[in-house]
Amino acid sequence: MNEKTASLIDGHLDHVLTPEQHQELSEWIRSSPDNARRFAAAAMLHDRLRNELMISGSQPDESGCRVRENSDTPNAAATPNSDESGSVTFFRRRSLIAFLSTAAVISIAIVLFFKSFGNSPTLAAASELRRLIELNALPMDRTYQITVEETVLPRRGRRGPSPEDGRPPKAPLDGATLYVRDGQQFVLSRITAAGPFVTGSNGKVSWAVRPDGPVRYSEDLNRFNRDVPGHEHDMPLVNIHEGLARLRQSYEVQLLPIEEAEFPEPATRLLVAIRHPGERGAKRVEISYEVESGLIRQMRFIEMPYGPQSLTLRLTLLSEASPGEHFFDHESHHDANRRVEAE
Amino acid sequence: MDEKTRQATRYWTLAQPAVSAFVTSVVRDFRDRDDVLQDIAVAVVESFERWDSARPFVAWAMGIARNQVGLYLRRRRRDRQMLEFDTETVNALVSAFSDIADEDAQPQLDFLQECLKRLEGRARKLCELRYQQDLKPAAISNLIGMTANAVAKSLERIREQLRDCIVHKAAAQGTVR
Repeated sequence: MNEKTASLIDGHLDHVLTPEQHQELSEWIRSSPDNARRFAAAAMLHDRLRNELMISGSQPDESGCRVRENSDTPNAAATPNSDESGSVTFFRRRSLIAFLSTAAVISIAIVLFFKSFGNSPTLAAASELRRLIELNALPMDRTYQITVEETVLPRRGRRGPSPEDGRPPKAPLDGATLYVRDGQQFVLSRITAAGPFVTGSNGKVSWAVRPDGPVRYSEDLNRFNRDVPGHEHDMPLVNIHEGLARLRQSYEVQLLPIEEAEFPEPATRLLVAIRHPGERGAKRVEISYEVESGLIRQMRFIEMPYGPQSLTLRLTLLSEASPGEHFFDHESHHDANRRVEAE
Repeated sequence: MDEKTRQATRYWTLAQPAVSAFVTSVVRDFRDRDDVLQDIAVAVVESFERWDSARPFVAWAMGIARNQVGLYLRRRRRDRQMLEFDTETVNALVSAFSDIADEDAQPQLDFLQECLKRLEGRARKLCELRYQQDLKPAAISNLIGMTANAVAKSLERIREQLRDCIVHKAAAQGTVR
């Protein structure tokens, strides 16, 4: 390991790298398992230093020796001091670290032991849903792929009046990409025969960029969200947190067994929610998530009302990276010379 | 405490140093490391029954750590200033820390405490500010009248000397592999 790489590792541990240096270090780690192990060895020392100094910080100073910072003979500075008290302290210290670690786990085990009382499948499912809601309350950007599995049209004569009557048919959802951000911001991008059809909202105005014609926007945030499934039934897919909260109120929730995955893939679990009689929204919702992190990878909505139709569709998480600060403004989705009209 | 929990505790105690170092290397902030490590310990004990004993425990625990670290990063991602490793790099680190734990690199690091006793003066002070107070070089520089760059360089040099000291002691006691 050359001096420059050593400096990058130390700089990373001390938070002094620039983004470019950080990228350089990341590439170096990825370039070979040996490099990754060298980094790991440096991090082990750094981590242990924290533990040792935290312990010694709570004890009287017993130092009497020194490491000479500019020694001509580096190893001379590190000559073993073969005193017996050193060995005793050494083992005491090692035992202390092991004890602290064990004590932490024992206290966790006791908590888990008491938590296990009174657990029923229903309570466990409700508790797991609560945990998912908490974990997904984070205000962050998410990108989903929409896949429509089935579309059911209403039987002739069975349908009453609908707000969709008289409106042009909705553009196809299958294959669409949905970007969401907190504050009811979203972008729904669909490909039609005429070209891309994008609707969205930046939280201040909602807008639609059709393949042709002017770009339209409105201060009514609901004006252009009718194509996002779920908006009519208080389960807006643009807000995963609200959607999960709605499951708590209007659905019976069940948990399926954990599914193990091949290392290093995390274990996943399926949470199934079945709509209570008399409630509106999808008949059944299936949520597939990573057990430890609560990261929702896929949501499946079965028989979800969508205009006059009923859809079975799934949302698959593509990314949690930000698509860009201005991505939810309509200007990011059309040429600057396009005509823009307010509604 | 039942036998399973006792067993989980034993295994976790052995795996914890490598898992902790992995978390530190990605999370970096020591206080955050402690929080993440606690979540990992809970997850390890909770899901211990799912561990396949044909597989190394550290690698399994490291998988849980990776997921918990991922969760932490998701929480922090809104902080646009934060530098983080991409998934590929994190996976490379998971393998590296698992390998290091399997190689049992711990005995050498056990000499660190003796080597630390040899630090004095400004070197000792820098270590205390960095590791006891969890201050970054910029904050340390305000306290001791050095530039942040000089603080970072000094810390780098101190760690290098401690590493040399550890290797030397391990060699003298015959614990070098």
